[in-house]
Amino acid sequence: MMGVEALYPEILNIFEALIVEVESATQYRNLSALPRWYPASFSADRSSIDPREFVQSSFFLQCFLYEAEEFWQSHDHGKLQSGLWTEPALMGDESYLEATALVEMGQRFLIVQRYEPAMVTIQPVLQTARDNQLAHGQELEVRKHVEAQLGAQLAESEQIRDDVMAVLDHLQLATVMIDENQVVTYASPAVFQLFACDPHSFVGELWTHALPLKADQCRLVQEQMALPEIHRSPVAVSLQKQKKSWREVEVEVHEDPRDQRRTILFWKDRTEVEDLRRQLIGHAHFEKLIGKSPAMQDLYQRVQEIAPVDVSVLIQGETGTGKELVAQALHQLSERKDKPFVAVNCAGLTDSLLGSQLFGHKRGAFTGATSDHEGFFEAAEGGMLFLDEIGDMPLATQTTLLRVLQEGEIMRLGESRPRKVDVRVLAATHQNLQEMVEKGDFRSDLLYRIRVARLQLPAVRERREDIPLLSEAFLGQARVVTKKPEVSDIAPDAMQALLRYPWPGNVRELKSSFDYALIHCHGTHIQLTDLPPEICGTSASLVSVRASPRNERQDILSALQEANGKRAQAAKLLGMSRSTFYRRLSDLAISPEEQST
Amino acid sequence: MIQKKVCMLGGFSVGKTSLVKRFVTGQFSDKYHTTIGVKIDQKSMCVNDTELLLVLWDVYGEDDFQKVRASYLQGSAGYLLVIDGTRKETLEVARQLHAMAMQSMGPVPYALVINKHDLRESWQVDPEMYEDLASNACLVLQSSAKTGECVELAFAELAKQLLKV
Repeated sequence: MMGVEALYPEILNIFEALIVEVESATQYRNLSALPRWYPASFSADRSSIDPREFVQSSFFLQCFLYEAEEFWQSHDHGKLQSGLWTEPALMGDESYLEATALVEMGQRFLIVQRYEPAMVTIQPVLQTARDNQLAHGQELEVRKHVEAQLGAQLAESEQIRDDVMAVLDHLQLATVMIDENQVVTYASPAVFQLFACDPHSFVGELWTHALPLKADQCRLVQEQMALPEIHRSPVAVSLQKQKKSWREVEVEVHEDPRDQRRTILFWKDRTEVEDLRRQLIGHAHFEKLIGKSPAMQDLYQRVQEIAPVDVSVLIQGETGTGKELVAQALHQLSERKDKPFVAVNCAGLTDSLLGSQLFGHKRGAFTGATSDHEGFFEAAEGGMLFLDEIGDMPLATQTTLLRVLQEGEIMRLGESRPRKVDVRVLAATHQNLQEMVEKGDFRSDLLYRIRVARLQLPAVRERREDIPLLSEAFLGQARVVTKKPEVSDIAPDAMQALLRYPWPGNVRELKSSFDYALIHCHGTHIQLTDLPPEICGTSASLVSVRASPRNERQDILSALQEANGKRAQAAKLLGMSRSTFYRRLSDLAISPEEQST
Repeated sequence: MIQKKVCMLGGFSVGKTSLVKRFVTGQFSDKYHTTIGVKIDQKSMCVNDTELLLVLWDVYGEDDFQKVRASYLQGSAGYLLVIDGTRKETLEVARQLHAMAMQSMGPVPYALVINKHDLRESWQVDPEMYEDLASNACLVLQSSAKTGECVELAFAELAKQLLKV
């Protein structure tokens, strides 16, 4: 039986390693049998190996031996491994080698082992790890790229959305989007301004609950939503904003083009437009007054200011300028609008008759007073009394009127018991009352009393720009009166004549001119020749002729004759107010007998 | 014949082995095969009438799994510092290896090679990003082992520099 020591060479041979004792830098002693992998080029004689040739042929081993030398010199025992390497030029293949420098008891050894690629188990593990790492890196890059793209798209979408929002906001176009369950999914900033509501109260809520609409308003919108898109029309609703101002809103119902189950509501605030429209209409037609000239705008403004103040008003203006219409407007715009408005013409009446009419009388107060009579003051209780042509009021009546205004009491003729009255007095005149005061024809104290507020009405010649508007209105009225609906317009030359004419009778004369013109008109347009001769210029001298008292007297008598003695109709034919007509009757001393013949 | 040891240094999968293979054999393989340990190749060339044998040490790519042994770099006359242009993280690995090389070899010539120029549209590195590495390099090239672009030039120019030392 062999000793254990004798087995060592056999055991070493099993490892198929090149084992060399390094006696010096140049002397190697082979300790093992020649391994099978040992390159044939270095082992012509396989019975004797000189490992120096192999070691010196390997670039790697040469370097490793430098490192090993340091190790051997600094260690008494231990080992230093080179790590794996491949050296195809040395081995003729891609097999792995690994060198180990050993030192034990001062003896140095070099061991070189060879591994088949398949034996290097770390390779597939490392390969997999690195492949995964590379794949992960690529995946990260792809993800970054996609994220960057999505980020850019998101930024672009947000920019577009912000732009759209800005446009919607700038246009004050309130937009509400509703899903198929009638739930608000989006509301533009203008919605919050329009409804003055908390933005968070909208999204996620049923629109009928979220929006402060009344049930009937919701129903109107829902009706539109139920209709096909082409049959829908805007719905007008009025919204009260925080119990303060009202907003006039138009709602347009549209299908979402991306999803027909969804609905888009556009809320257009038309308050300003409606206000402007109302202003336009209101200023062109204020109560029964017509005109949008600056003079009339100023008048409307002053009427609105004066009407609510419960003071006496003096309305001054030429004949035919519409003093009574202004008085009616003051009544309508005052708190007394639901109480009586009584108009009295003070012209052409005697002191006693006017006093009786104004203050009433007791039965037997004078001859013919067969019963108690309530005067206009009492008739106008709580309301307004309009005293037209107050400049023609007799002085005695002025005195009584002054007392009534001061005391707030009237006393019927023939009575001694005063009666309390609550009447706001409006007075009108075409005369210069200040001059009358100076002449002693009008009481100054009464003047001061009645002109607490004053309104001066412009003559038509002072607001010629209103003539087309007035003409349009009077044409419409005359069309009805004369039953000539086909007359729809005014020829340009006729309009030019209307614009040139001085209109001494003002609006009343203009109105009667259209009555005249419609009677003579036989087409669809009022022609120049249809107008009264004084306007169309065919009797240019008529105005001046009419201006003479003799001819005016004749005109009045002719008009009375044409009107069968009816003074109001005769006045109308002449383009005069009744008060002017009465005054002219008095001035021209036309007796009642002459009037009736 | 003059022999010069040249190390290939860089992160894993930057193309060190491919550059060597393209240079030595003129071949290229798209398949990535990670290098274990060191692979020694050699190529003789004539530089300015001087026969030179370049012994190329294709050192495994450094990463968390394999750290390059400083001893591999000892005795090297120069090195190619390789960066993968499509992976900017290989810049930092290159910086670490460059520092190690400076410590082990001293100031030897090196070429900075930004590889995979065939994938230029996917590059993540710009010259200003590797300005520090380029400042002391004897040569800075954008190469492609796949197309062979600048591969021969990189080794040839480095070889010239090695002979000057």
